[in-house]
Amino acid sequence: MPKTIVQEFTKGLWEELPPFRLVLGLCPVLGVTTTMENGLGMGIATTFVLFGSNFLVSLLRSIIPQKVRIACFIIIIASFVTIVELLMQAYAYPLYLKLGVFIPLIVVNCIVLGRAEAFAYKNKVSYSIADGLGIGIGFTLSLGALGAVRELLGNGSVTVWGDLSYNLSAAFPSYQPFSFMVQAPGAFICLGLMLCIINAVGD
Amino acid sequence: MGYFELIIACIFVNNILLAQFLGNCPFLGTSKKMETAVGMSMAVVFVTVMAGTLTWVIYTYILVNFDLVYLRTIAFIVVIASLVQFVEMFLKKSIPALYAGLGIFLPLITTNCAVMGVCVLNIDKEFTFLQALVASLFYAVGFGLALILFAGLRERTLLARVPKPLQDTSIALVTAGMISLAFFAFQGMV
Amino acid sequence: MNDMVKMVVVLTVLSSVAGGVLAAVNKGTASQIEAQQLTFVKGPAIKAILAGSSNNPIEDRFKIVDGDAEKSFFVGNFDGKANTIAFEGFGKGFAGDIGVMVGINMDEDKLVGAAVTVHSETPGLGAKAKDDPGLVSQFKGLSVKDSVSVTKDGGQINAISGATITSRAVCDAVDNAMKSYQKMKPQLQQEIQKFGK
Repeated sequence: MPKTIVQEFTKGLWEELPPFRLVLGLCPVLGVTTTMENGLGMGIATTFVLFGSNFLVSLLRSIIPQKVRIACFIIIIASFVTIVELLMQAYAYPLYLKLGVFIPLIVVNCIVLGRAEAFAYKNKVSYSIADGLGIGIGFTLSLGALGAVRELLGNGSVTVWGDLSYNLSAAFPSYQPFSFMVQAPGAFICLGLMLCIINAVGD
Repeated sequence: MGYFELIIACIFVNNILLAQFLGNCPFLGTSKKMETAVGMSMAVVFVTVMAGTLTWVIYTYILVNFDLVYLRTIAFIVVIASLVQFVEMFLKKSIPALYAGLGIFLPLITTNCAVMGVCVLNIDKEFTFLQALVASLFYAVGFGLALILFAGLRERTLLARVPKPLQDTSIALVTAGMISLAFFAFQGMV
Repeated sequence: MNDMVKMVVVLTVLSSVAGGVLAAVNKGTASQIEAQQLTFVKGPAIKAILAGSSNNPIEDRFKIVDGDAEKSFFVGNFDGKANTIAFEGFGKGFAGDIGVMVGINMDEDKLVGAAVTVHSETPGLGAKAKDDPGLVSQFKGLSVKDSVSVTKDGGQINAISGATITSRAVCDAVDNAMKSYQKMKPQLQQEIQKFGK
């Protein structure tokens, strides 16, 4: 049974939720989720690239020759990544500094290339856009959630947006910030345990 | 920074997999068996050294000279992708024995962010040519070391009784966290 | 053959379109990026040093070529005239270069302040040089002719405990900045005349 556009969109939010369901594109997931804000910023940048590349690949799918399709995908993706890089430097410089090397690395994020190859090259433009946005938003939410957990446990507080924040240490004065969580080993373990919870709930 | 410190920093302190989180897809994907882990590590060392130095030359002598720095991302990925293709063809024709070992890993390397990451880091840290060469080699060695250590541990977890939701990737990530913790002890050494 | 031609044409067209679009985006964002870099990387340091100036030092800036590097200078107006200047000096730290922005009052040849701009030191130890004002506040009021060093080396600056190398690097950076100031003073005086009107 062919799926509707809405289904293509919503599958990215649970059924194929990256990075938990499709275990792909883990590097930024681990690398930038030290705070919720960084995680969301990275997610939005990736969503933009996914949306753009899915749209363009799908639009050009009849003129891109089969044999050099990967090269074409890479050029399209790399262009969108560079646009994000420049826009971010121009309008969100502090975030750009924090995400650093991970912005150019969106280009090798397996999710983006994977969606171009597995979905956009074979489907209509409207479906591809829905797919790209769905996967992108799912990715953003996952990064935000992981960032929120790590920031909350690691710093004792979460900055949601601007000055709006929740302070765990203030609510529970006996809580000691667990800085392990915001460092490298904590990233792996936190993601592993979250994956375990998602698996348990999913079954 | 002397070359000795640079080597220690690249392999241990700033280990590309465990401290910088680059190249995690192959880290989880090719670590189920020791054999594949060794093959992947060799292929990564091979390609990273070539890509790291080549992109450094291209960036320094072409992109900077012609004021095209904004084309960095696109130039690097094209270089890496064509390099991988070229290495694959070359090995197939000239050294079939090596190709038999590395062949299937080569296409995977194009989307390995460790390779791209090393190229970008070489530029961001403003390394000289020789530093970039040494850094590329030893970042890749660090990648291999972590991957092989991890594969060894992962083979063990196959024998252990793991609760169902934790199985496969989940327990692998927790194991990776433990190795990362061990490497964390090198922090501050250099 | 036909296939081959198509492949080459598609790849060439795609690459040139991508190149063109990127060039346009790059051109469109270039000045905004420069402004952002100044505001976020050097901005906080400049504002801290030249606090209370009647102009915006980030806008009133000029460049001088020194050796093979181009240095940016930021002008601060106090008491109705442009008499204070801020610029960066560098020293070798624990993990790479440390940049320190120094402010110098050109009438009195005295340091009005210093602040760390870039560093890659260990969080919690060397990184304190940036976050903790204890170290950089000691530079205020020194004359440009003084040589600066930490107390361990017989100087006047109390190092951050546990981060002697970093503190030493900060001193070196300030020292370097003051040396280049002395060297370039006539040139700077000429340039600064153009501001503060």
